[in-house]
Amino acid sequence: MHDLIIGMAGSGGDGVVSAGESLITAAAIEGYHALLTKSFGSQIRGGESSCRLRISTRQVFNPNGTLDVAVALNWEDFLRFGGELPVDGHTVVIYDSKTGVAPDNIPLAGVRPAATLAVPIGDMAKQAAGTDKAKNTVVLGLLAGWFGIARHSILAGIRKKFGKKSAEVLEGNERAFAAGVSYAEANPLSGGRSMAAPENGGATQFVVDGNEMCAAGAIFAGCQFFGGYPITPSTEIMQFLNREIWKYGGAVLQAEDEIAGVGAAVGASFAGKKAMTATSGPGMSLKTEMLGLASIAELPLVCVNVQRGGPSTGLPTKSEQADLFQAIFSAHGDTVRPVLAPISVADIFGITIEGFNIAEQYQTPVILLSDQEIGQRKETVSPIDTKTFELIERRRPTANELEHYERFRITESGISPISTPGAAGGDYLASGIEHNEQGAPTASGEMHARMNEKRIKKLHPLKQRRDLFVIAGDPQSPLGLISWGSVAGVALEALDLARAGGLQVKLLIPKLLYPVAEEVYQDFLGSVQAGLVIEQSHQGQLYRVIRMFVDVPDGVQPFNKSGSNPIVAREVLDRLQEMALELQRRRAPELQPAG
Amino acid sequence: MNTAAVQTLTHHTPKDYQSDLKPIWCPGCGDFGVLSSIYRALSGIGRPPHEIAFVSGIGCSSRIPGYTTAYGFNSVHGRALPIAQGIKLANPDLLVLVAGGDGDGFSIGGGHVPHVIRRNIDLTYIVMDNQIYGLTKGQLSPTSPRGLKTVTSTYGSLEDPVNPLLYVLAYGASFVAQGTPADMPGLVTIIEEGIRFPGFAFINVQSPCVTFGEPDQQLKAHKTAMKSLSSLGHDPSDRLQAMALAQDYGRELYTGIFYRNPDPPPKYNDLVRERQKAMAPTALPKDRILEMFLPE
Repeated sequence: MHDLIIGMAGSGGDGVVSAGESLITAAAIEGYHALLTKSFGSQIRGGESSCRLRISTRQVFNPNGTLDVAVALNWEDFLRFGGELPVDGHTVVIYDSKTGVAPDNIPLAGVRPAATLAVPIGDMAKQAAGTDKAKNTVVLGLLAGWFGIARHSILAGIRKKFGKKSAEVLEGNERAFAAGVSYAEANPLSGGRSMAAPENGGATQFVVDGNEMCAAGAIFAGCQFFGGYPITPSTEIMQFLNREIWKYGGAVLQAEDEIAGVGAAVGASFAGKKAMTATSGPGMSLKTEMLGLASIAELPLVCVNVQRGGPSTGLPTKSEQADLFQAIFSAHGDTVRPVLAPISVADIFGITIEGFNIAEQYQTPVILLSDQEIGQRKETVSPIDTKTFELIERRRPTANELEHYERFRITESGISPISTPGAAGGDYLASGIEHNEQGAPTASGEMHARMNEKRIKKLHPLKQRRDLFVIAGDPQSPLGLISWGSVAGVALEALDLARAGGLQVKLLIPKLLYPVAEEVYQDFLGSVQAGLVIEQSHQGQLYRVIRMFVDVPDGVQPFNKSGSNPIVAREVLDRLQEMALELQRRRAPELQPAG
Repeated sequence: MNTAAVQTLTHHTPKDYQSDLKPIWCPGCGDFGVLSSIYRALSGIGRPPHEIAFVSGIGCSSRIPGYTTAYGFNSVHGRALPIAQGIKLANPDLLVLVAGGDGDGFSIGGGHVPHVIRRNIDLTYIVMDNQIYGLTKGQLSPTSPRGLKTVTSTYGSLEDPVNPLLYVLAYGASFVAQGTPADMPGLVTIIEEGIRFPGFAFINVQSPCVTFGEPDQQLKAHKTAMKSLSSLGHDPSDRLQAMALAQDYGRELYTGIFYRNPDPPPKYNDLVRERQKAMAPTALPKDRILEMFLPE
């Protein structure tokens, strides 16, 4: 096998997530690509927890759908995750025989899995390690044994992890792992499901989640101030910066609320530093007024929204792409704020740097729309050549310009030099009130119109940034896919599947969502007669935003779902195949001889 | 944050801090007196204008940064304190002043006050307290007395006012003072002392609204009502005594320093610098930052 999806669920103390972490680490060391997504019940501690691990010999971009292997330490917890852990006729189901469920009676309505394996997991753990805390180690042994994944690296990981504890605990876990492996070897699976060797065996890979990758990108970009407030699922950004930013001369302020967090970041930017804040849906609503201030005061700022289901508290631990309208349209007044979205954990590093560059170059707040899927999933990431990133600093006034300094001078580009407190001659009034070129408050409607023009015009060059779009597939294809954010990973896989099946498809992934680059969409849609805009929201927000600015052929339809059921590449492919057939049928009459 | 420690002291006259902008305030507004007191206090301190950041929110008094030659930031309603803290942490060498009205500081922005106090960030916060919303033309403010009739309390206010002095003392503020433009020399002195205080300094200024304020709250009335705390023999290192005196807010007009902590906690901005210095040697070079994520 080249691709294996394992889903595991148990109660909080069963350690299924920790087993997933051990597996992704081991997979990375051996050179496999892997994604680990975790899902929890709403309890703070205890309760049910689950993870999905996708291991592949090649790079993969999404967690995909149906499980190849399902591990249920108890059925109640497993079933609570519903569509997040889907099982079908090719799934191998492994469960603890202690649950007392007969193999032909497992509680999966209407599904007959390929194999159903009742294993005395708890008993094996107790026998090997003297405690059923080692159940997850037994599971690791079973998985290594049956699917041939990373046996040596898993064992090395166990030694590292438990080596810090007592010899007794370490040896117990070694025995538990060995017991799992022996059980698998003694009870081989029919049909052979062993993983093939990775294409890039032994290559260095990092294991990291999107929130940490975002924070690392911020430090690389030169961020020296973060103000924020804890909110799921973005908090890891603040936690990482709180550990690291001081080393680079920066500071983190855990503020009293979301508003103070972004406010302090606006202040730090005014004082000349690259500054950032991060939040999720409800926090974004609170920060919105301050983003308006950054727009009119023309202050660089990066604001990350790690999207979750909304409105209000909504689904705090589940991913959704439903804050696009908010990101684009929540500003009061006539203003444009660049909105960027990464497509993977690896991608958010560069997108964060891009966010700082755009903020600095154009003196504007930039909204970075991540999502819970990217923010909290772990991914193997190949080394990134950091030399390819250019860092942009805000345009500061020259000595000459400081002679008669005008902070908001109306220039050809709309960008005016920005001075920093401490610089003699550069003093000015930054303000939320409309101002003239010198920065003095004004009530002149004419001046307001000129300043609106300046502030919006300066962002026009962004629309030419074709490098902020992924354009792939057959350029002449009449079938087009458009997607964004983490769901773009599904579209990438659908494109691969289509190619493998001989279907010509093209794909457009905007990483710059706003301002809408009309020409990029028009060029892409030129050959397109039918297609899909794939996204995880009820309204199909990207589809609607594109249609505001671009003529979209009727054959291009939204393909959108809200909720936590991931959209999978296979269903996208099915829709594309239907669309291809429909196009052929429509073309058929033209081919009939006249008469 | 690799900013060289630049804290120049030079000779500057009060006029050096005055900008070309003409204040929009009504003739006779108390804020004029506060503004000239600030010019004079800054001249006494001697930091050049470009090393000063002056932050405000929204309201009549929040126009004040624009009338100085400091780097000004006239921000949004109630958020001057968070912005000022970001500025101070980003560049601790700047002298950072914050100003605003009672609505800005104790209504919409009231939630920020306890937190700036517990951090003891080195800011000087001047509240021009006039017990009314002037800019929006005469509505009830958080310090308006119970029973006050305004356009939003037609039949009289049904609530007690906030007591700004007691409020900040209770939160643990290390420097708390009150002044009035009716006593300019006194006001200049407490602003200067507030700026010199190592940490967060709160100065409540009874700054009358000449248009919407009550007749007994005007400067003329202040001149007879005001009592200096030193003349009462108050010891500003006595926090409990300060709180006892602060209870009279709204009944008595005490001026001077209520409380000056003789042993203030460390300044947050100093601690930030120390941490940065201590941790700098442990930084991975930025181009190797992803090595933090090598699997173990």
